Amino acid sequence: MEVIEILLPLALILGALFVGAFLWSARNGQYDDLETPRHRLLLDDQPLMKKDDQ
Amino acid sequence: MSKCVHCDEALVIPVYGDDDATRAHPFCCVGCLTVFQALYAKGLGEFYDIKERMGTLRKRRPIEERAQRYDFLDDSSFLEKYATTRANGSRSIEFYLEGVHCLACLWLVEKLPEYCPGVLKAKLDLERSVATVTLAPEGRFADCARELALLGYPPHPVKREDELRQLQRQEERATLMRIGVAGAAAGNVMLYAVSIYAGAQGGYATFFNFLTVLFGVPALTYSAWPFYQSAWFSLKNRVLSIDVPISLALLMGLTMGLYNAAIGVNENYFDSLSALVFLLLLSRYFLRRLQQRGLTPSDINFFHRQEGIERRKADGQFEQVHVDLLRQGDVIRVAPEEMLPVDGQVVEGVSHLNASLLTGEAAPVSIRSGEKVFAGTQNLEGTLLVSVESAAGKTRLGRILKSVEDGWASKAPIVTFTAQVSRYFTLSVFALSAVYGILNWSVLGPERTIETIIILLIVTCPCALALAIPLTFIRTLSLAAHRGLVIKSDEVVEKLARARTVFLDKTGTVTHGRVGITHLASLGLTRHLLTDVIWNLESTSRHPVGTALREYVRAARPSSLKVQDRQERPGHGVEGIIEGVHYRIHREKIWADGVEVANFSCEDRIRDDAPEAIRQLRALGLAPMLLSGDNRATVQNVAERIGLSNQEWKAEAMPEDKAAIVHAKSDTVMVGDGANDAVALGRAGVGIAVAGAMDISLRAADVYVTDPGLDAVTDLIEISRETMKVVRRNLVLSLLYNATSVVAVFTGHITPLIAAVIMPLSSLTVLLSSVWGTQKLRALWK
Repeated sequence: MEVIEILLPLALILGALFVGAFLWSARNGQYDDLETPRHRLLLDDQPLMKKDDQ
Repeated sequence: MSKCVHCDEALVIPVYGDDDATRAHPFCCVGCLTVFQALYAKGLGEFYDIKERMGTLRKRRPIEERAQRYDFLDDSSFLEKYATTRANGSRSIEFYLEGVHCLACLWLVEKLPEYCPGVLKAKLDLERSVATVTLAPEGRFADCARELALLGYPPHPVKREDELRQLQRQEERATLMRIGVAGAAAGNVMLYAVSIYAGAQGGYATFFNFLTVLFGVPALTYSAWPFYQSAWFSLKNRVLSIDVPISLALLMGLTMGLYNAAIGVNENYFDSLSALVFLLLLSRYFLRRLQQRGLTPSDINFFHRQEGIERRKADGQFEQVHVDLLRQGDVIRVAPEEMLPVDGQVVEGVSHLNASLLTGEAAPVSIRSGEKVFAGTQNLEGTLLVSVESAAGKTRLGRILKSVEDGWASKAPIVTFTAQVSRYFTLSVFALSAVYGILNWSVLGPERTIETIIILLIVTCPCALALAIPLTFIRTLSLAAHRGLVIKSDEVVEKLARARTVFLDKTGTVTHGRVGITHLASLGLTRHLLTDVIWNLESTSRHPVGTALREYVRAARPSSLKVQDRQERPGHGVEGIIEGVHYRIHREKIWADGVEVANFSCEDRIRDDAPEAIRQLRALGLAPMLLSGDNRATVQNVAERIGLSNQEWKAEAMPEDKAAIVHAKSDTVMVGDGANDAVALGRAGVGIAVAGAMDISLRAADVYVTDPGLDAVTDLIEISRETMKVVRRNLVLSLLYNATSVVAVFTGHITPLIAAVIMPLSSLTVLLSSVWGTQKLRALWK
């Protein structure tokens, strides 16, 4: 059996999964704001220091 | 020159604080200083580190100190209209925040839950400057609004999303899904098509071909649906839009591909076509997003500065309400420096009003009990009690804006370049197909001829053109936005390129729109003392002349002096005692103990760059014309000083007259500031709003210029002309590629492989051409 007989269906399934994930996230509104997430990415998620820790 | 630590404004007179932290850093004003202290007090000093590291998205402005009245936010009738409640009892409101510029702002706002009690979550949309704040059931919106205002982001509540907005949102998401499917399809189809081109045989070839059909069909049906819809629509209106040849190519490709698969021929054009669908959808999506971005959210009520309005209750006390909840007959209190939110009648109080938003006049108008007042005017120094006649959309201002929006439908449309081209293009392709058919019907036989004609229709798809045009406009619109020129749509760029006459408003456009001091002469006091006296006497003045005087002497670095018995009365100027001497400033004269010691004159000064701008406009081949509602003498004076001849100005023009003069021709440009020019701005081919209140101006105009000054207008014209040059160049380039394909078809050398090579090549070429621009464009963007 050629290896492509395994790889091809695998690739198709994987592709379908990704497309499905994209469609779900688009419908879920995750792409409504394209500007802010790329800025938010740059922030560290540290909790605030309390006044006495400064 | 040092910069304010908070807002980066260049400093002339730095302000320093008293405590350890603020003593070492310079600030431009007390507002910025206060925010700095507040941030450190809450442990939010990291704000400044982030600000240092990252760039800013928008220009910063110094913090304005403003009265903060947010109690109305927790009123139940208000919450019903504005808040969304969830099953677990939490509520959320969207707030439009002023002053959001950068990453540090994002950080600060989204950290709200950590320093404001009751807040569960805060999410900021940087593009729209809208923060969605979710509150626990016991939380109070007034608290978090106050926090935000304290930190320099005055919040304004935004109405809950209505049905229209929801529909728009669904549509955007649907478009995105279509793009995703098209992209996935294009990639996969190409993969399997390439294997066939590379020489796959037999069973593999058939299977791969089947796969290309499997992926290609969703791309050419689901994803391509908007093209079919648009083509159908335009055909119904007897117009040959560019979507017609595109849809034709796609449909032909679909049918042919399916047919070939059915009869066992492993040949189709799905790879080129699905890539085409993907790229076209993508470019249109971005263009649409870009055009929406320039506008403030349409759900912001124009009166957003006045939500916390003080209304008198039956018992004489005042309560805070949102402007939406005002009724006719209510009596509201308008404090000094506030803008009137309603049309009404003054019940009590004496003051001056700044009506420049409505009339264009910078000079203050005196107002007293019994007189009518209008929304949009600014109260200057006295407190007024006003009985409400109409509010929001029903005010004179609201109706002007509404008529502008309605009148937009009557704005003269242009036949865009794209539309012109697509008409000729489609007809040529049909003609070519007919010629080919006639010539070869008998020679090749009907089947082969039809097949070739179909292929012809496919490869002459104007993909490069359809791609290039939005791309060029996207580039221009986004670069312009970075420069502070907010252009509403691509059509505006085309109109600007064809503009012939430029109408300029006087007040605020050619002049500064504010009172400015033209000369200050001392008749006995030392210059130093004079500036000190003026600085301190006018320190809390809200009168335009007072603030103008203060601005005038600011650069001379006056020192702080104590003023006793300071009095400012409308009509009587300002007076006070400084170091034992009684000074009075009134009617362009300054008195010390009754003796005149200085005089000055003030006027609405012409902008320095105005004469040069007129010259440049003429150099570009445009005809400038000055329009104003002011009296003849003043307008003539200004016209002459900026270099206009007698035919080129018109005075005493009412807003309706202005609109008529500007008239509904598409090659006119009107430059004005906001509301008082709104009707003319809406009627002109292109309306350019120069500074002024952004939300009002954008409703009325096609272009909003953030920096005051007239050189933006000449820049806009040049940018538009150069952009159209690039568009035309792209047309030539794409036609070349189309011609090559046609030759390949006619000589019988066309195959899907060749088409698959030509299409990306053509797209890449026009993309590079759009990015490269022209020499002038590159210089303009520097």
